Amino acid sequence: MKTSTILRYLLLAVFNAGVFYAIPLSITFEAWFLLSLIILNAFLVNTVYLTDRFKPMKWILPGMIFMISFVVFPAIYNTYVSFTNWSTGHILNKTQAIKVLEDRTFTPEDQKDIQFDLYVLQDQNLEFYFFADLDENNMFFGKAVTDEDIMTTSYATHEPSLKKNDELIVPDGFYVLSGKEQIANADVLQELSLVIDSKTRAKIFKISVFGASTGSLSSTSQLYTYDSNKDALINNSTNIICPAVDDNFECDGKEIDPGWRIYVGTENYEKIFSNQRIRAPLNIVTKWTFQFAILTVIFSFFVGLLLSMILNKENLKFQRVYRSLFILPYAIPAFVSVLVWKGLLNPDYGVINNWFAPLYEILEIEPIKWLKTKESARAAVLLVNTWLGFPYMFLITTGALQSIPKELIEAAKVDGATGVQSFWRITFPLLMVSISPLLIGSFAFNFNNFTLIFLLSGGGPPVIGSEVAVGWTDILISFTYKLAISGGRGNMFGLASTVTIIVFGIVLLISALSFRYTKRLERIYGNI
Amino acid sequence: MEISKFTKWFKEYGWRHLVGLIFVTFAIYPILFVLTNSFADFANLTNSKLVPNSLTLKHYKLLSGDPLVPYFQWLYNTYKVAFLAALFNVFLGTLAAFAFSRLQFKGRRTGLLTLVIVQMFPSFLAFVAIYLLFFQISDVAPFMGLGTHFGLILVYLGGSIGFNSWLIKGFMDTISPSLDEAAKVDGASEYQIFRKIIAPLARPILVVIFVITFIGIYSDFILAAIFLKDKNLWTVAVGINTVFVDDFNADWGVIAASSVIAATPIAVLFIFFQKQITGGLTAGSVKG
Repeated sequence: MKTSTILRYLLLAVFNAGVFYAIPLSITFEAWFLLSLIILNAFLVNTVYLTDRFKPMKWILPGMIFMISFVVFPAIYNTYVSFTNWSTGHILNKTQAIKVLEDRTFTPEDQKDIQFDLYVLQDQNLEFYFFADLDENNMFFGKAVTDEDIMTTSYATHEPSLKKNDELIVPDGFYVLSGKEQIANADVLQELSLVIDSKTRAKIFKISVFGASTGSLSSTSQLYTYDSNKDALINNSTNIICPAVDDNFECDGKEIDPGWRIYVGTENYEKIFSNQRIRAPLNIVTKWTFQFAILTVIFSFFVGLLLSMILNKENLKFQRVYRSLFILPYAIPAFVSVLVWKGLLNPDYGVINNWFAPLYEILEIEPIKWLKTKESARAAVLLVNTWLGFPYMFLITTGALQSIPKELIEAAKVDGATGVQSFWRITFPLLMVSISPLLIGSFAFNFNNFTLIFLLSGGGPPVIGSEVAVGWTDILISFTYKLAISGGRGNMFGLASTVTIIVFGIVLLISALSFRYTKRLERIYGNI
Repeated sequence: MEISKFTKWFKEYGWRHLVGLIFVTFAIYPILFVLTNSFADFANLTNSKLVPNSLTLKHYKLLSGDPLVPYFQWLYNTYKVAFLAALFNVFLGTLAAFAFSRLQFKGRRTGLLTLVIVQMFPSFLAFVAIYLLFFQISDVAPFMGLGTHFGLILVYLGGSIGFNSWLIKGFMDTISPSLDEAAKVDGASEYQIFRKIIAPLARPILVVIFVITFIGIYSDFILAAIFLKDKNLWTVAVGINTVFVDDFNADWGVIAASSVIAATPIAVLFIFFQKQITGGLTAGSVKG
């Protein structure tokens, strides 16, 4: 066998080992989408590399796998999530939620308020021991353990001999920690408990510097038991039966957290279109997203075109210098320049308000609170984005202008056209033919220009009185981000995915539009 | 005489320079400002100005000595992630491009169109799903789940591979097919044609694609912000935009210094490859 063949089978073996490792785990975690992704990839890889039937695929598949897994698949998954109630409080599936609830414990009423003396001791191996003096008949001594070790430890024993005349008799080989020493070890000690019986533990309640510390009882009695016949939880403390209603268990009409995620059909979509408290902010955001993207393209295109018209002149000196200086804002990563602009725009300390200070005085107005009010934030976002975008527009319009044959303009001049006429009738239309796909591209880019919005204004200032976190400069994608990740009102994955679907739709429209231009270019260049 | 000559020059050229200078000021003022401020001997934003009274390196020194702001760790992380992702991206993209350019097979055209269509949706659009997917991957294979560079690199790989294959394929099409046909006659295998003829000849475009992808990943904020929670694993974009947002006034010098360090290599790369990046071929793939 050739080395390459051996290598191929070796790689395949490693890949399949990974697959066989991941499949049972995905099943355990009930990660069904992940499981289907793994199976799909395993199927593709094995058919392509074990048979010789799809030879060209051997070249394409490695790259394709990543595209399928992390672009196509998330898009499908996103659609699924938009039909669920996936959000904080409904992150787990039902089995996991039941398990979390069944792990809850409660302390019975008669044990709740019991407090007692608790001594902390250490043996020669520096392991901690507790001595809990509940009453004459209950003086427990034993090793104090963390929750992890609770199952493997033995119960504490009743040791009345350790206490005489209210004084602790320290057993041989042990050392009693003073209050100060306990405080120094408080982090560790708080995690420890003395196991009295299968349900009861003693823990440190309060460390005191003088004398014995105070202990309290905590119980491991299971609070809820799940009854699969009734599909309900039974509260062992109150004996109330809590039936499963949709995505939560409800005790006396009160939902208990956590619930679980379920398929909710088009509920999220209905919310978006008919629930005024979500629809109103969404309307604001959608409108601004379009305004922002369109105005950005117009401003930067206008500045770029103006400059290239003015500087594209025969025998004009320093043309190259201009070019290389104008490219600078474009060359710097946006996450850096936005940070710098944020400093310049700072209303209290920034340079821009320093410049305007005389103007504010003459006009007798308050200094502009950049980024703090709706209007100033929107103006700032557009200003910075024009700064970021005009160099690109300058470069592409300069290129396009230079490719327009001079004879055309000359001919128009001969026919008596004025400069303005020849610009609007000849230069501009020709320019638009080559530039418009790029303008659409720029629109599409800015439509989702998360970095600028999120880093410059954070989407703010906030729209007051809205149910969801949203700001006046939020665009759809930053709004989605707030819904899903950082709005401070939990993770609303389901709703966020639904908004994403809208963005998908709009991007699809834009793409269809630009595709028509690509088709035109394709006819010229024959790329396919 | 002199005056009328000047008037003539001004009407013809001078006013153009005037407008040009105004916009040059607009374009480079923030850049110069942050550059001089990073070396300036004042502490905060309030008394910052374009031309400082005296120069110092203290802001740069502060950046390297603060354990709470592991700036150079972020820088290292960014270079590592961007380099690896861009490298694999170009490698896998080249393989796919070779098949699309040189092999005849059913579904070739459809495949190419699919690439273009899929690539029209920026990969971060479905970030909610990516987040949830990697949330599950964290359970199954923690070494590539949320919070790891490995996982992040995987996402970046998926993000631009389609577009890159498309561009590389376009370039490979310009390599004369007579070359590989001759090699075929001499008994060269597909792999040999790729390795010995097409890949070496395509090297110029591969370098460009590598640079573009590298810059794109270096500048990414959203995916890195979602993925990386541990301060020591952050990329520079996440780090400086998370740590310095609370107190702009006091941190200004350090913000300036960190901006200069983060931006300079990328700006140099960008200017060096300016023509290729802004050429119609790749327009809009990085920014615009």
